[in-house]
Amino acid sequence: MDVLDLARAQFAVTGSLHFLFVVLTLGLAPLVAVMQTLWTFGGKPVHERMTRFWGQIYLINYALGIVTGLVMEFQFGLSWSGLSHYAGDVFGAPLAIETLVAFFLESTFLGLWIFGWHRMPRRLHLACIWIVTLTAYVSAFWIMAANAFLQNPAGAVERGGRLVVEDFGAVLTNPMLAMALPHVAGAALLTGGSVIMGASAYQLFRRTAEQEFFTKSLRLGVSVASIGVVLAVGFGYAQFGPIGEFQPGKFDSPLAGLGLGFMILIGYLLQLVVLFVLLPVIRWLPRWRWAHPIVMLMTPLPFLAAILGWLAREAGRQPWLVYGRLTVADAMSPGLTPAMITTSLVAFTGVLGLLAVVDYLLIARLVRRGPAAATLGAAPLPPPERTPALSL
Amino acid sequence: MDILWTVLFAVLLIGYFALEGANIGLGMLLPALGRTQEGRDRIVAAMAPFVLAGEVWLVAVAGTLFGVYPQAEGEVLFGLYPLVVCLLVSWIVRDAGLWFRRRADGPAWRAGWDRMICLGSWGLALSWGAALTALATGLSITPAALAGAAALAALLAFHGRAFASWLLPGGAAGTVATGTTTVATGTTEAAGELSGAVLGGAAGRLPGPAAGAGRGAAALAGTACLAAAPAAALLAGTAPWLLEHTAPADTLNVLSLMILPCAPLMAGAQVWVWRTFGPRRAADRFPSFF
Repeated sequence: MDVLDLARAQFAVTGSLHFLFVVLTLGLAPLVAVMQTLWTFGGKPVHERMTRFWGQIYLINYALGIVTGLVMEFQFGLSWSGLSHYAGDVFGAPLAIETLVAFFLESTFLGLWIFGWHRMPRRLHLACIWIVTLTAYVSAFWIMAANAFLQNPAGAVERGGRLVVEDFGAVLTNPMLAMALPHVAGAALLTGGSVIMGASAYQLFRRTAEQEFFTKSLRLGVSVASIGVVLAVGFGYAQFGPIGEFQPGKFDSPLAGLGLGFMILIGYLLQLVVLFVLLPVIRWLPRWRWAHPIVMLMTPLPFLAAILGWLAREAGRQPWLVYGRLTVADAMSPGLTPAMITTSLVAFTGVLGLLAVVDYLLIARLVRRGPAAATLGAAPLPPPERTPALSL
Repeated sequence: MDILWTVLFAVLLIGYFALEGANIGLGMLLPALGRTQEGRDRIVAAMAPFVLAGEVWLVAVAGTLFGVYPQAEGEVLFGLYPLVVCLLVSWIVRDAGLWFRRRADGPAWRAGWDRMICLGSWGLALSWGAALTALATGLSITPAALAGAAALAALLAFHGRAFASWLLPGGAAGTVATGTTTVATGTTEAAGELSGAVLGGAAGRLPGPAAGAGRGAAALAGTACLAAAPAAALLAGTAPWLLEHTAPADTLNVLSLMILPCAPLMAGAQVWVWRTFGPRRAADRFPSFF
C-alpha cells in the first residue's frame, strides 16, 4: 500500500468506528429523553429505572463516540491539509459551527445531565437531556451538510485557485443533504430501537425477574425501530434522484456497488421482519419466548447496514474528495511519509480498536446484569451521622 | 470581523488551558494526591463533572481553526504531526480511563484505569508543551521542545494541585479518613475535634475555613492564569500571522451569524457547570459515574 492508500485506510477505519458509535448515540438519545419525560411527568418508578439503565448503555456507547470523533476532527489537518487549503473557506464553516454550536453545548449539557442527578431540580435535569438530544441532531445536520458539500460542492465558486462561499443557503439546501439527513436519522432510530429490542428479548428469554421493565422496553424498541426502518428505507430510495443527477455512475465501482446492494438487502429484511412480523404482534411478543432469539439475532444488522451505507456513499465518490473539483490524491498533505502515516494508523486503530472491543463488552455486561446494575443516577447515600459530637 | 474572530479564538485556547488544564494537572497528580483507591475515587469524583465541559474547549479550538483559519489549519496540524498524534492518543487514553474505571468491578480494573488517567494526562501536558514550543520556534521540533514540555507539565501540575485544594479542601486522603472516623464511634476526643475541624472546613461551616475556600478560589484563578500564560504569549506573538490566514469576509459572516447568537448559551452552560459542581461536602453523598 502506498501513502495515499494508508491515509485512506486510516480515515476509513476511524470513520467507520466513529459512525458505529454515533449511530447508536443518535438512536438512543431521544429514547432516553422520552423515558425521562415519562418519569418526570408520570412519576412511575419503572420509567426512572428505564431512564437510568438505557441511559447508562447510551453513555458507555457515547464514550467511544467522543474519542473516535476527536481523531476525525484532527485527521483533516494531519492527512488531508490539501482539503482545507483548497476548500476550507467553505467546508470549514459547517465543521466550525458543528463544534461550537452543537458539540460544545452537547458535551457541556451531557456533563450536567450525568453528574446532575439529585443535584439539580428535576425539570432542569430533564431539560439537559433534551438539549443533549437536540444538539446531537444539530451536530448530525452540520456534519451531513459538510459531507454533502464534498458530494456536490453547491454554493461555492473557484476564485484564485480556491473555493469560496458564493451562496451559503445553497450549502444548507444541498440536494445531497436533504434526503440523506432523514435517511441517517431513520437508520439511527432503527439502530437504537434494535438494541433496546435485542437486549430486552435477551432478558425476557432468560426469564428475567424484571418482566414489566423489559416488556415495556421491548415494545418501545419495536415501535421506534418501525419508525426508523420506514424513514431509512423511504429516504434511502429518495436519494437516488439527486445521486443520479449529481453523481451518475456513483455505484459503478465494485466496492460502492457491493455496499449499496447488501445495505438494501439488510434494509428489506429488517423492514419485513420489524414492520410486518414484530409490529403486528407487539402485544404478545414479550411473552413469546420462542421469538426472542430471532429478535436478538437482528441486533447487529442495523450496524452492518450503517457501515455498508457509509461505504457506498464514500467509496462512490472516488477518486474525488470534493466531487469534480479536488481529488483525494491532491488533497493529501504534501510531505506525508509512509513512516508518519503508518505510525499514526497503527496508534489510532490499535488504541481505538481495543477500546471499541472493551466498550462493547461493557455494554454486553450491563445488558446481562440488568437494571439493578445501573449506577447512573443512583440514590444519594444518607448524610453521615455526626457521632463524635453525640459521644462528647 | 477578523479581529473579533481572533479574539474568540484566543478566548477558546486560553479557556482550554485555564479550565481543562486543571483536569489535566489533577490527572497527572492522581497517584500522588490519592495514595489509596478511596482517595483516588474521591479525586476523580470531584473532578469528573468538569471534564466534559473542559475538553470541549479544545474541540472548539480545532473547529475554529478549521473554519476561521483554513489556510493555517493544515499547516499547523501537519507541521506538528508527531505531537498531534501523541496528544490525541494521550487524550483518548485519559478519557477511556475516566469513562471505564467504574464500569466493572475489582480493584485491579479501577487501579489500572487510574494509571491510564495519569499516563494520558502526562501525555497531554508534555505533548502540549512540546507543541507550543514548536509553534513558537516556527513549526520546527527542536530539543527546546523538551524543555517546553517539562515547563508546561510543571505549570499544569501546579494548576491541578490548586484545583484539588479548591475541590477537596480537606485533602483527598484527609477527608476520607475523617469520614470513616465520624462513623466509627470509639474515637478519642482529640481526634473528634480534629475531624470536626476538617469536616467543618470542608463544609464551610466554620468562619476560618470558609475564608480558606475563598483563598482556594483565588489561588485557583491565579494558577489558571499561569497555566494559560504560555498559550496567551504564543497567541500574542502569532496574531499577525493568524490574521493573514483568516478566511474571507463571507465565511466569517456566516460563522458569526450562526455561532454568535449561541455564545451566551455556551458561556452560561459553562458557568452553570462550575456553580453546580463546585466544592461542597454534600457531593460526597452522590455515587459518581466516573
